[in-house]
Amino acid sequence: MLEKLIFQGLIGLSLSMYLWLLAAGLTLVFGVLGVLNFAHGSLFMLGAYATFTFYGKLGLNFWLSILLSLISVGIIGTILERFFIRRIYDLDLPYQLILTFGFILIFDDLVKIVWGGVAMIPPMPHFLEGSLSILGRPYPIYNIFIIFAGVAVAFLLWLILEKTWWGRMIRASASDREMASAIGINIPLLFTTVFVFAAMLAALGGALGTPVRVVAPGIGTSMIIQAFVITVIGGLGNLKGAFVGALIVGILTAFGILLFPVFELFIIFVVMAIVLLIKPEGLFGK
Amino acid sequence: MAKKITRRNFLKSTVVGGVAAGMGFGSYQITYGQAKKPAGPIKIGGQGAISGAHADYGWQMMAGATLAIEEINAKGGILKRKLELKFMDEELKPATAVKNVRYLATEWGADFLFGVDSSGSAMAIGPVLPEVNRLHFFCHAATHRLTEELVAGKGIKQIFRMVVPVYQDALVAWILKDMPEVKRIAGINCDYEYGYVAWNLFKESIKRFRPDVEFVAAAWAPFWTMDFSSHISAVMAEKPDAIFATPWAGEGVMLLRQSLMFGVFDKIHLWWQAMGGSVDLLEGISREIEGDKFKGKLWGTARYIHNYPVSPENKAFVDAFRKRWGKFPNYSAESSYSSIYAIKTGAEKAKSLETDKVATALEGMELKTPAGPRLIRKEDHQAVYTVPAGRAMKSPDYTIPILGDLRVIPAKDYYRHPPFTPVAATK
Repeated sequence: MLEKLIFQGLIGLSLSMYLWLLAAGLTLVFGVLGVLNFAHGSLFMLGAYATFTFYGKLGLNFWLSILLSLISVGIIGTILERFFIRRIYDLDLPYQLILTFGFILIFDDLVKIVWGGVAMIPPMPHFLEGSLSILGRPYPIYNIFIIFAGVAVAFLLWLILEKTWWGRMIRASASDREMASAIGINIPLLFTTVFVFAAMLAALGGALGTPVRVVAPGIGTSMIIQAFVITVIGGLGNLKGAFVGALIVGILTAFGILLFPVFELFIIFVVMAIVLLIKPEGLFGK
Repeated sequence: MAKKITRRNFLKSTVVGGVAAGMGFGSYQITYGQAKKPAGPIKIGGQGAISGAHADYGWQMMAGATLAIEEINAKGGILKRKLELKFMDEELKPATAVKNVRYLATEWGADFLFGVDSSGSAMAIGPVLPEVNRLHFFCHAATHRLTEELVAGKGIKQIFRMVVPVYQDALVAWILKDMPEVKRIAGINCDYEYGYVAWNLFKESIKRFRPDVEFVAAAWAPFWTMDFSSHISAVMAEKPDAIFATPWAGEGVMLLRQSLMFGVFDKIHLWWQAMGGSVDLLEGISREIEGDKFKGKLWGTARYIHNYPVSPENKAFVDAFRKRWGKFPNYSAESSYSSIYAIKTGAEKAKSLETDKVATALEGMELKTPAGPRLIRKEDHQAVYTVPAGRAMKSPDYTIPILGDLRVIPAKDYYRHPPFTPVAATK
């Protein structure tokens, strides 16, 4: 039984790291810009579609395809922030929800017009095929790759936020926007770069899913719910919280499917409810 | 010159139409009263999933119906009236499906309704049909309850189902009957009614032949499951000999591709992908089938397969469909095509479009359809016809993988028959 639990835990770990890629950008935008971006899932979907087009359709190198999809979604993110999101920073939360929810509908319909409504299935890059033997059972190389990708993104984010000038500016403006502006930080430019960075993180999630997932309208919406649960559990706006939240959700989901298949679906919502009852601001929220 | 309907044009118009309707521009549609002019076209309203991972099913439904309507119109229509089609996105949401039915029947003025992919949507629509009093030909929704409970039980005569329900999914029991090496069976099933019923029916069926088999694990995947790793890992931990799986369309493709990463096909004797004979699923895993990644262990069925039966009707349909749409028809295309022809046959026999008269005309009738002879059972308005099970394989005769090594079990053997006893629709 212990072996089963460890193996399932490792599967949950890869799910956690995948969810973390999406939750990281969502919580970063909320923490710095103060915007609850419902359309974050749409940027994830666009990243998947772009990778599918570059890799699956045009036959470009997998890594180059990911890079190009990050750049493409980064450009879309820039337009979104400069022309739309920027106008609602000072408005109440409902305006943010209406605007970003509107973008979900627009992006879903746009991808239907451009790519059609039918699910696309990109090929799997050869280096991700196969498995390694862990506890005598085959563990997919793809899942190992996702764990590394998630840890690498977490490390990169820590490095950027803690060790770079840009990171210090982000932390300064997150804790006191007016004071940061007073000491000469260009807040509008900083917000654009943070939003674009988060958009690219979402796109990375979408791109890294393409080897095993289908690409279809609405895939972002299906993911964003889990990402919200993660950020609520961890504390909205807190990156460390999002990481821990992703670990909790991913691993509990995997254990739920193994141990409590009949009511697995509601386990993470029960956890979220308990966290909200005990610590409404989330595990790492302030 | 008439603009040719392509999939993209169709989706574009649907999207634009949907956006316009959402913005309150619905009143630009046909106004009240116009629809019932006797000299006007016979209006046929359909709906199916035309967005998301299951979008090909709705598209196929629309494509099959369009083909039938074009053929019928070219020969003068039904009762000398041409047919007109409007097809909407069901979104796999019961509330949307009910809204569509009300709109199509009362506002647009549909004379007949067809379509619907989701069982949940079908069960929501059923009770509304007596109110709008239109015959509805269901082309995909597979829950047995639609015909067993709503027609045979509650007497909702407006419901007709042209497609074989979830009885088909249990067909693997007849294959496992002769595979004594399979003793431990696990399920990876949809976490909604279709998955529950398919699994329960299968368990009930196999126990009749093989009381020795054990059901060692069951994992449940809701709509929009993208990562099946946890499900595959959980059931493989119990070392099953065979796996019974119901996720369909894009989800079925993801499940099968992800199962290869876990080396599942090195360890089992048989994987039953219930709707594995679906064209979109076979296309989705064509690279893997060509590479023999499933080692001949992947079996499935569908609610129609284009390579069965070998008959003039089926050949004519498949050829016409390929010529019109450039691809092979899936089962929802065949069932919608046959639904439109059922409307024609029923209306011409009744010499009327009236709901009661056409319904009575169709009861007990046997129709010649591409899928073979279809008997419209009087008690539950369920079409009875045979679809075989087969092994997923590449054939030199087809550009896409097919189900081959076909096992034909007569429909009367694997269909349920009235009076019906309840099947659990729970996990």
